[in-house]
Amino acid sequence: MISRFWTTRLAALAFAGSLGTSVLAQPASDALIYGKTDAAARSGGKLTIGSLTEPPAMDPYHQAADARIRVTVLAYQGLFYESASGEPLPLLAESYSISADGRTYIFKLRKGVKFHTGQTMTSADVKYSYDYLRDPKNGSPGAGDLSTIDSIEAPDADTVIFKLNRRNGLLPITLTHRYGGVIPNGYFASPDARTRLNQTSVGTGPFKLKQFKPNSVLVFEKFADYWQKGLPHLDEVTFAFMPNSAAMVVAARNGRIDMGIFTRPQDAEQLAKAQGVRLVRTPSMGQKSLDLGAEHPLLKDERVRQAIALAIDKDAVMKASIAGYGQVIGTMVAGMQERWGLPLSEVPNQKVDLDRARKLLAEAGHPNGFEIDLTSIITYDWMDAAAVTIAEQLKRIGIKVNIKKIELGVWVRNFRSRQMGFTFNDWPTSPDPSLLYYRHFRAAPLGADFRNWNNAAASALLDQGLEESDYAKRRAIYNDFQKMLASSVPTIMMFSSDLLTVEGSRVQNHQQHPTGWYFGLAKTWVAK
Amino acid sequence: MAALVSSLIVFSLMRAVPGDIVGQMLGQTSDPTATEALRGFFGLDRPLYAQFTEWLIDVLRGDLGRSWYQGQAVTSLVSEAFLVTLQIAVLTLIVSTLIGVPLGVLAGIAEGSKIDGLIRAFNLIGLSAPVFWVGLMLLVGASALFSWSPPFTYSSPSENLSDNFEIIILPILSLGALQAAAYSHFVRECMVSELRRDYIRAALAKGLSPAVVYFKHALRNILVPLVTFMGLILIQILGGTVVIESLFSIPGLGRLILSGIQGRDYPVVQGALLFVVFVAITVNFLVDAAYGLIDPRLRK
Repeated sequence: MISRFWTTRLAALAFAGSLGTSVLAQPASDALIYGKTDAAARSGGKLTIGSLTEPPAMDPYHQAADARIRVTVLAYQGLFYESASGEPLPLLAESYSISADGRTYIFKLRKGVKFHTGQTMTSADVKYSYDYLRDPKNGSPGAGDLSTIDSIEAPDADTVIFKLNRRNGLLPITLTHRYGGVIPNGYFASPDARTRLNQTSVGTGPFKLKQFKPNSVLVFEKFADYWQKGLPHLDEVTFAFMPNSAAMVVAARNGRIDMGIFTRPQDAEQLAKAQGVRLVRTPSMGQKSLDLGAEHPLLKDERVRQAIALAIDKDAVMKASIAGYGQVIGTMVAGMQERWGLPLSEVPNQKVDLDRARKLLAEAGHPNGFEIDLTSIITYDWMDAAAVTIAEQLKRIGIKVNIKKIELGVWVRNFRSRQMGFTFNDWPTSPDPSLLYYRHFRAAPLGADFRNWNNAAASALLDQGLEESDYAKRRAIYNDFQKMLASSVPTIMMFSSDLLTVEGSRVQNHQQHPTGWYFGLAKTWVAK
Repeated sequence: MAALVSSLIVFSLMRAVPGDIVGQMLGQTSDPTATEALRGFFGLDRPLYAQFTEWLIDVLRGDLGRSWYQGQAVTSLVSEAFLVTLQIAVLTLIVSTLIGVPLGVLAGIAEGSKIDGLIRAFNLIGLSAPVFWVGLMLLVGASALFSWSPPFTYSSPSENLSDNFEIIILPILSLGALQAAAYSHFVRECMVSELRRDYIRAALAKGLSPAVVYFKHALRNILVPLVTFMGLILIQILGGTVVIESLFSIPGLGRLILSGIQGRDYPVVQGALLFVVFVAITVNFLVDAAYGLIDPRLRK
């Protein structure tokens, strides 16, 4: 039945071969979880981090907000860890095997893992956690990602078997950290369980929740019984919620915070010149894009969408909106370009070609262009400059753009009801192309197809990519998909802005994960 | 009655704003089963009149509900946040009164002089400068001149008095300076008008000392409008804290309402705004009651 069997021990041997025998005592992937290990690290100390975003709540099961994920990754763990390069490394799972038909995954669990509640983790907890998460009746935003799971079994205390209703090559990367995490069996049976997560964490992560004061601070403390010996190094991490970047600049300049991720390049630039702080740029998994909903009477014509794509100079938009602190992309976010991206030279409709754009518009029945509303979201600063730049660029082919600013709640409603029209978008992803594309572009009912693209060939490719587990084959499938995406233009992925982390001189070995989530704090330490 | 009408307006406005907590929680996912499950969990699947009636009955019982995100009782969230805001508001009121009233009296007495001109210039700047700008300038100025900034992590006076002082000093100065200007402008106008009245001229002609005329007679006679204005200023300060709390990262009532609106946390917004209405009514009542203490003739 079992065709392949990988263990982290085998990986350790390969890793040890390149690094020396001292690593043999520890599985290779363990050493890479949460980033590189620093032999000089010292334990102790506290860190204060300024944060421009605040989680609405600390419930990893029912809150989709990226601001929540950023911090709950410190307290909750999945079966796998999504490494910075996009590979799933066993975390609470120690090893796994897949059946020949690709529909059964057997996970061997790590022993000696304790919850923040003091209980020891067993397979019953894992089964309960993922069963709860995947049941749409429980209202978790993560349920859709686990829809290929048919049943979960726990034959013994250290083994969990996931049976699937179809092949799903990306199951391991799905069992990571965006939603959920392993929690004690039966936790949600209590009526106030959801809101209790704002006072107490019940995960297995390196830090446990100490205090959450909305509109003020969030404090995590070291989990003494954490299963990775010697981690975390810090005794306490405090997130100070800053409602504006001016306050965060002042706080960083005066040493009130040790670290912070900035969203406006001009703020980070100011601090980069200050003494005692350094600016770290990390390619991100996020993307700034323009969506072209096919429900719009003008945008339903593929030629119109292509004309818009050919008139947009992405580099100019990026320079205007984020001062060049990012990377122009084709159809893949910067953080995954190397592993999954089609080379930019092979992506259609990327170079500005106004003559072809005008020709396409004329063929579509708009020889003199047209007028269209472009929606941007209030408080997303980058969209203001981008909107003006794009309006000027599209004017060259006769398209008059009316910029309309709407509140985030209104935008989310439009998005979820698939009435996006012509709009900016700003969204992060987990490090796998299927997690990036499937829900957004797969036709209903399996996907949400927010842009009403309704492309059967693209949907078929996405299904193939989901089922395939061989990396080379998957890469080929997603290359074909990317060509289709860039050719038909339901969206224009413009650029990924870099994560701009400002660190004080005390901060050592902080490795920023491309998702922007704070995994790196598990191995961060502070100098005396 | 005012509270009932306000509650109906607040309830309706929140429902009229597009988007709800389910959209905020599920983000870019759109699973209909999950959506319906959450709508049911928060009671959003019931008719609006049923939601309003149930909320109103709970309010009449003294229960403002629970925050949909935090799970904490709204009464507890509001009272915690209000204490933070109240501290800033009361200290701002004291600062602005101590600065604004003397300046206004001085400008009124010295009408047309250079001192009056300077005070009027201060009033004009204070009345026209937005509180956000003043706060930002103080924040950046303190950093540039003294390499100092507030801690940005709030501590109550009982937790740490010095940290509390550090975090509230700039908000109080920002709000206080602007309200002092408003105060000064109002007191000056009252004094000028009072000093032109016949009884003042008669008192001065009879040989009473100017100090007695100004402070015993004129100032006393403007106390009633001054107290009315104080009530208005207090309500204005409570409103101004929405901005200033956001700028200085202070977890007060303004920030609670703002984050509630952004997250579509209906119980928090409804409860907090109802509380604000209650505070405004109470302040007006206290002002009315104070008239009788200041001027016994008004008791009749």
